[in-house]
Amino acid sequence: MSKPKDLVQGTLDLLILRIVALEPMHGWAIAQRLRQMSSEVLQVGQSALYPALHKLEQQGWIKAEWKISETNRRAKYYSLTRAGRKALTEEAANWERLSTAISAIVRAV
Amino acid sequence: MPRWFTQFRLTCRSLFRTKRVDQELDEELQYHLERQIAEGMNAGLAPEESRHAARRAMGAITKSKEECRDMRRVNFIDDLLRDLQYAGRNLRRSPGFATLAVLIMALGIGANTAVFSVVNTVLLKPLAYREPDRIVTLTNPLTTGPALTALGVKLVSILNFQDWHDQSSSFEAMAYYQSAEAAVMAGSTAEYARATKVSPEFFRVFAVEPIVGRFFTDEEMKPGSSGALIISYAYWQSHFGGSARVLEQTVRLYGRTVPIAGVLPPGFGFPEKTDLWRPVNTPILEPTATFRGGQNYFAVGRLKPGVPLERTQAEMTSIARRLEQQYPEFNKGRTVAVARMRDEMVGDVRLTLYLLLAAVSVVLLIACANTATLLLGKATARTREVAVRFALGASRRRIVTQLITESLLLAFLAGTCGLLLAYWGSKALVALAPANLPRLTETGIDAWVLAFTFGMSLITSVLFGLLPAIYASKVDLHDALKQAGRGPVPGGGMVRMRGVLVVSEIALAVVLLSGAGLLIKSFVALHNVALGFRPENVLVMKATVPAPITVASQFFKDVLSQIARVPGVLAAGATMVPPGNVGSMGPYYFDHMPQRLDPSDPSAVISVVAPGTFAALGIPLKRGRDFSDRETSDTPFVAVVNESLVRKSLPGEDPIGRTIFCLFDSPKAMTIIGVVGDVRERGPAREPIPECYITYRQHAYNGNSLSIVARTVGDPTALTETLRRIAHERSPDVPMKFTTMERDTSENVSAPRFRTLLLGVFAGLAVMLAMAGVYSVMAYAVSQRSNEIGLRIALGASTGSVLRLILGEGLALAGLGLALGLAAAVATTRLLTTLLFQVKPNDPQVYVAVAVLLGLVALIAGWVPARRASKIDPLTAIRQE
Repeated sequence: MSKPKDLVQGTLDLLILRIVALEPMHGWAIAQRLRQMSSEVLQVGQSALYPALHKLEQQGWIKAEWKISETNRRAKYYSLTRAGRKALTEEAANWERLSTAISAIVRAV
Repeated sequence: MPRWFTQFRLTCRSLFRTKRVDQELDEELQYHLERQIAEGMNAGLAPEESRHAARRAMGAITKSKEECRDMRRVNFIDDLLRDLQYAGRNLRRSPGFATLAVLIMALGIGANTAVFSVVNTVLLKPLAYREPDRIVTLTNPLTTGPALTALGVKLVSILNFQDWHDQSSSFEAMAYYQSAEAAVMAGSTAEYARATKVSPEFFRVFAVEPIVGRFFTDEEMKPGSSGALIISYAYWQSHFGGSARVLEQTVRLYGRTVPIAGVLPPGFGFPEKTDLWRPVNTPILEPTATFRGGQNYFAVGRLKPGVPLERTQAEMTSIARRLEQQYPEFNKGRTVAVARMRDEMVGDVRLTLYLLLAAVSVVLLIACANTATLLLGKATARTREVAVRFALGASRRRIVTQLITESLLLAFLAGTCGLLLAYWGSKALVALAPANLPRLTETGIDAWVLAFTFGMSLITSVLFGLLPAIYASKVDLHDALKQAGRGPVPGGGMVRMRGVLVVSEIALAVVLLSGAGLLIKSFVALHNVALGFRPENVLVMKATVPAPITVASQFFKDVLSQIARVPGVLAAGATMVPPGNVGSMGPYYFDHMPQRLDPSDPSAVISVVAPGTFAALGIPLKRGRDFSDRETSDTPFVAVVNESLVRKSLPGEDPIGRTIFCLFDSPKAMTIIGVVGDVRERGPAREPIPECYITYRQHAYNGNSLSIVARTVGDPTALTETLRRIAHERSPDVPMKFTTMERDTSENVSAPRFRTLLLGVFAGLAVMLAMAGVYSVMAYAVSQRSNEIGLRIALGASTGSVLRLILGEGLALAGLGLALGLAAAVATTRLLTTLLFQVKPNDPQVYVAVAVLLGLVALIAGWVPARRASKIDPLTAIRQE
């Protein structure tokens, strides 16, 4: 599993924000959830996932905290910050606009 | 929590708790791995198999760790730290190079910092008064032409001042003052104190309040009252031990007991480090001038808040125009000039200081070029190292950053050393500087100077580091690696670049050297100019008699006759101000006083002297006779004039016996009894003007204070104690101050000496650096071409022809630099015009001397490498390749 080639630049950030918005989650769970929610279409490897998580944390959009996981081990849980929630709204709107535009063109052909 | 704070906290955490952050990253990824394995086992894989599968699925863990770190943006700082470490190691590995580079740059940065610290203090720092931008000076210049003396422009008369004060509305306060060395008694010792007479609003101009006591009362400021004193903090400490009971004390000033009213806060001593201030209306010995033409005071004012200078100037100009019509005999052609006090204070020195700053930055530029040459040499030697790093995948940006870091490290080391140099340097500057440089004693290293040094280091590191770094980063991988095992290869560009650097070094040095040459020639001319008197072997004793004028005159008469009899004294006299200074100026008329005076009437320097003064000072008597002891206020008034006055006003006539009026303290008719040679009273740089000498017993004004001048056989200072004893026996209340005429005269040229000396030192530095530049370029060229030269020798070239070849190349570089430098010098030295005396900025002699000197320097610098080249052993040289 590597970085999905067909994932538009920056889309991974949006997806992560969207998923973390549901509840605090660790990296593994985020990857799983992403797969499930996209009906196995989108598969994100750790080599793309973790740098993205760390970037989002550095940007202040998500925050991390260590908790005990469902397997009874220490795991790093990410959750959305207030700035992150705002960013998510904006990014989602952007995406909506972009995808509508692209779809319009693609269908027209 | 604000977002930036979160980010900052995270960055700090990544930077300073690296281990912890890395551990957490490991743990996070480890957890992911475990879940992956667990998933595999759930799917039915054996544990071992599942582990392998998971590892494969996870990919290169190290790489993603690195990416995570990148995302935390700490790599940049990490790189910087690593680069710094690397740079430090590199410098340690070549201590000779490092020391040389740091030393050269430290010299440049240090000299710049030292000069800047002076510029900062004198020109940039605001004055240490409350809202100093509102403090202005008021002067009364002539619009018709340049003033005869510099001081004459600044002085104002009380009556004009009163009208300015009463008619203007822009000022919160306006005051006039006059400062002098006054005779005071401290216990039983007579001494001088700087005393300033001030008008009522003086302290409001500066917005100072006494820290002890009070200001003058209205009663104390009334004409004829006994007055009171306000003393400076320094005087309070030195004379009253800072005692709180100082207000019960008195000071004996000019023989009168004056009570102390207050003490001013520390740091306030305007003007000229005043010790004592007193109200202007309490005449102690000196009469108060009620003559509109008597310009004896300085005027200052504080603008009302928000009133712009231009509006004030406009208001004062219209007042001046009114006064011009009202009193044309004094004010015709006079206007009022308002200037910010700081600008006015630094007026004369601004040009000198900017000149020095420019000169010293040229030195820094040369130092940069020099260091760049050194670094280029290093860069060549490191071609392979850089090539290997390229080959291993370093980006060009990383390599340039690394090389720039090295320059930065060098520059900051140099900056630190430079700061140390600057600390000593600025002390030396202060010691050398002319005493009239305002505020100089406050010079020191403050935050601004530190910032300046820091900025300098930063800029220079780019100046000298960028070129070599770019050069190094352009290494051709293929070529460089192919040269494995051999020495570095000089590219054509490399040699050219060094050539350009050394040519610009020489050109800059030539500019500085030309400037210094002009100033030196001008200073020599200034030194050799005939002053009109002979300053050597003259002792000067200033004495002030705190008693009525008749007593004072008797004192000087007695003391002078006694001094004249001292063995070793050739002649003795006394004068109001020592020669080379203008004490007073006034208009003069022949035969009778005109009905109406006019400011454009011819005026003369007026000097009060005692008999014997001309002989003591070595001023030649051309016709007639000197004053004698017989002349008193009861005998007919007499005067001696100088040749300029005769030339200007009595050409072709016999001046002896003519009647002259010189307006000093009384419009009395005087008979001219003698003519003396001209003295350059306005300083050595300015032509003599008409001068009228009058004698001390016929003119009482300011007659309590005279400088006794005694011409001696040998060292004049040997007689100091004898003269002091004579005066002290005659009156123990008289304070005295000794100097020699030579010292006094040399202070007159301290400003040109200061700038000449400094520019000379800077030019010397520049030439030394340029010489080192030529040497290093030549030595480098020889070492690169040793094999070619060896071949030439093997083919029969003589030692002489090799010498000529190499020297010729060095001289060609020097010649180019010289030509460019001379062109630049001709263009820039015009700025020096106002600083030059009897020398034109395009003086051919100076430029020829500069060219010869630089040629010689280049020859010497090129000789050593050329000599080495001619001694190359062809066998070794060829085998080396």
